[in-house]
Amino acid sequence: MASLGELERSVMTLLWDSTQALSANEVCEQLDEDLAVTTVLTVLARLEKKGMVHRERTSRPHRYSATASREEHTVEMLNEVLGTAPDREAVLAQFIGSVSEDEAAALRKILG
Amino acid sequence: MEPLALFLAGLAVVLAVPVPMLLHEARFRARSPWAAMLLWQAIALAGGLSMVGAPMVYGLAPFGDALPEAINTAIRLTLSEDYPALGELEVHPWHIFALCLGLLLAGHLVLTVVRTYLRVLSARRRHRQLVSLLSTPLPASDGGSEATQVIEHETPLAYCLPGRTNARSVTVLSRGLLETLTEEELAAVVAHEKTHLRQRHHLLTMAFEAWYRALPWLPTTRHGREAVLEITEMLADDGALATHSREDLLRALAVSGEGSPDKDLKPTAEASLITGVRLQRLLVPKAPLGTSAIAGVVFCAAALLAVPTSLLLLI
Repeated sequence: MASLGELERSVMTLLWDSTQALSANEVCEQLDEDLAVTTVLTVLARLEKKGMVHRERTSRPHRYSATASREEHTVEMLNEVLGTAPDREAVLAQFIGSVSEDEAAALRKILG
Repeated sequence: MEPLALFLAGLAVVLAVPVPMLLHEARFRARSPWAAMLLWQAIALAGGLSMVGAPMVYGLAPFGDALPEAINTAIRLTLSEDYPALGELEVHPWHIFALCLGLLLAGHLVLTVVRTYLRVLSARRRHRQLVSLLSTPLPASDGGSEATQVIEHETPLAYCLPGRTNARSVTVLSRGLLETLTEEELAAVVAHEKTHLRQRHHLLTMAFEAWYRALPWLPTTRHGREAVLEITEMLADDGALATHSREDLLRALAVSGEGSPDKDLKPTAEASLITGVRLQRLLVPKAPLGTSAIAGVVFCAAALLAVPTSLLLLI
């Protein structure tokens, strides 16, 4: 039995790769693992709470889609670290590249 | 009490402006970074203590000669609503003003520290969620207790995300970095990040982030935040150098400082551009401070903490 974290990742991968919103049943069918629909619903609810998944409540059954593409999320994540996000916390993470561009260029020249 | 309040106010001013400026310029941090770190932490604590202590001591002066006794008397008289006794004290409006100032300052500092701590924690939690959804574990992990994750992005970068325990901490590498660096260079980067995590550098920097947010106009907090971040990088470099070569680390730094590949690099510069103390000490290693200098630094740090504390509690 896969952990919740792994399940979340495979559900997200499915939603990112899907062109349309999916219902919990469809997610359940398309996942390779043998899972109960209730488990998939739990995972989807957790992802919705994290802001990763959008739930369409107008249709029955509810359909789920990713709030942003994988690339958009990656960029958002990197911006938090690289400091282009306006409200970033300077101490969120220790980031090795605190060398300026000029210094890095000079360094590459020295090292040859 | 008034000379004591004056002394504390003087100490607060000295620790707020000239001392951090001097320490910010001092180059010995390149030789013994942890000694500079010790001094910065001592200055921040002693500065905060005297800054809050000075107005409180002055404001409580009418209630007694020693601070513990004065606080006791003030609370007792107020709670027992002994107005005749309160009326006999020579309380000037300035005393009330100073007392309020001290209390507000203390509350502001404590609240900002708590708020910063909670904000950083929740930002990290959110970031960790994204990492766990967007990254894959590095297959050839070196077996440490901390996880190493890889994100799919071409920008070469490496960073670490501290968790409550080392087991929950994560080192994140980008695909771009993995493809640019050799195995040895990559190992040096990972060792650098793991040193950050192992030595819990985020706790040292968190305190200064909070200070900066509480009093952003004060040189202590501005210089302190910068300096402490730089010193943690030096300490992490030293940690990496314990097991990896200087050249591997420098090459890795040159690559991860390059920024996004689609951004045009500025014209190549000469070695004179290496102004950062951190890079200079990697290029030209310096001997650590001698025993007597280290003893002097430790003594200064201890005295900085002991003087305001003992003045507030004992006199």
